[in-house]
Amino acid sequence: MAFVIGEPCVDVKDKTCIEECPVDCIYEGERMLYIHPDECIDCAACEPVCPMDAIKPAQKVTDDWQPFQQAARQVFEEIGTPGGSFNVDDALTDPEFVQEFEK
Amino acid sequence: MSAEPIVVDLLLIGAGPVGLYGAYYAGFRGLCVGVLDSLPQVGGQISALYPQKDIYDIAGLPRIKGQDLVDNLVAQAAPFAPRYILGSEAEILRRDGDELVVTTADGTSVRSGAVVITAGVGSASPRPLPCGEEFLGRGLHYFVPDLSTFDGKDVVVVGGGDSAVDWALAAVARARSVTLVHRRQQFRAHEHSVARLHESVCDLVLDAEVGKLFADDAEQISAVEVCRKGVDTPKRVDAQVVVAALGFKLNLGPIASWGLTLSKRAIVVDPAMCTNIPGVFAAGDITTHAGKVKLIAVGFGEVATAVNNAAVTINPDLGLSPGHSSDAPPPGSDQFAVSTAATI
Repeated sequence: MAFVIGEPCVDVKDKTCIEECPVDCIYEGERMLYIHPDECIDCAACEPVCPMDAIKPAQKVTDDWQPFQQAARQVFEEIGTPGGSFNVDDALTDPEFVQEFEK
Repeated sequence: MSAEPIVVDLLLIGAGPVGLYGAYYAGFRGLCVGVLDSLPQVGGQISALYPQKDIYDIAGLPRIKGQDLVDNLVAQAAPFAPRYILGSEAEILRRDGDELVVTTADGTSVRSGAVVITAGVGSASPRPLPCGEEFLGRGLHYFVPDLSTFDGKDVVVVGGGDSAVDWALAAVARARSVTLVHRRQQFRAHEHSVARLHESVCDLVLDAEVGKLFADDAEQISAVEVCRKGVDTPKRVDAQVVVAALGFKLNLGPIASWGLTLSKRAIVVDPAMCTNIPGVFAAGDITTHAGKVKLIAVGFGEVATAVNNAAVTINPDLGLSPGHSSDAPPPGSDQFAVSTAATI
């Protein structure tokens, strides 16, 4: 089901979650971080360590989080399942919703 | 390193809950079974990531701690004496006539009639220390199985989780000096352990990262350069032992190169849990098929299907169905604790 990173991450990108994730499924975008919906193993290690409280499980996504859940699908459309952010060199291009998002 | 190949009827690759249950079923079918895992312990994701967490969705067990479930599975398989081959990552899988041969990274070879891949999310490898991988074996460690490694040395531990704190505490009793370097102010470890760390003689360097490792004439680590946030001059710390406790990366690893049909980094299986390679089955989180749901409960069902189908592959005289387990209680099972609702 995966976890979803939302608004509090935008323009912050603390990255403590990336250190904690055992399957390296959190990738860096330009304005925020993205949890890969297919690579996430639902271990929930990332959720408590985010200092911005930006991470929710997919089952608890509210209306304001919903577009971020969609964005997390869109951002991986081109690269598929790389099997870890270690395998990706550059920041991912943010989907339009995130690019235009005003905090 | 093992020169003689290990020979079994069925080999399970992955000793998490699904692999362990597969070992029970293989034993119940009268098969000689081996269970391989890259980690030095059984229990897979449960034991590595959430041993103390309560799990509520295991059939028949309204509530059970992760590690208790693993211990129960080990006990359930024990009467059939599975051969556990731990701390070895499966590297190569090939066919040799009637047999499949799996070779591990340390050279161990296992021959079997069938293989069931129950490798979950892949094998775990330690997250590397960015500046120092070449020093592995020359003062840099990811694990310290023999604590005398610390005796009388200057030790630097890198990391902020339970492992890093535990290594620092273990070193304090034996080392000449201990320094812990962590990127943040906050630890990701148990409060109690962190409190002990603060009370100990360990020198804590927080909001800091290891920038460089220095070597002596013998090419062993002699010092570490630490860069602190907001401080221009790096700090140089003498060290002969550096422990990088930066967590693990789980990765499909060599399994991705065995010619299995994969979809989104999962192994495609048919209703019998068979892969595209004859004699090779898969079960649990590592599989994908129409309607796949990644649950331990689903994995249990899949591995029972896989093992019973594999049994027929190994010995065509065997029927697909195992028969009732109550008709053949395993040896020693009269000693098993009886589960009743009252004891949960």
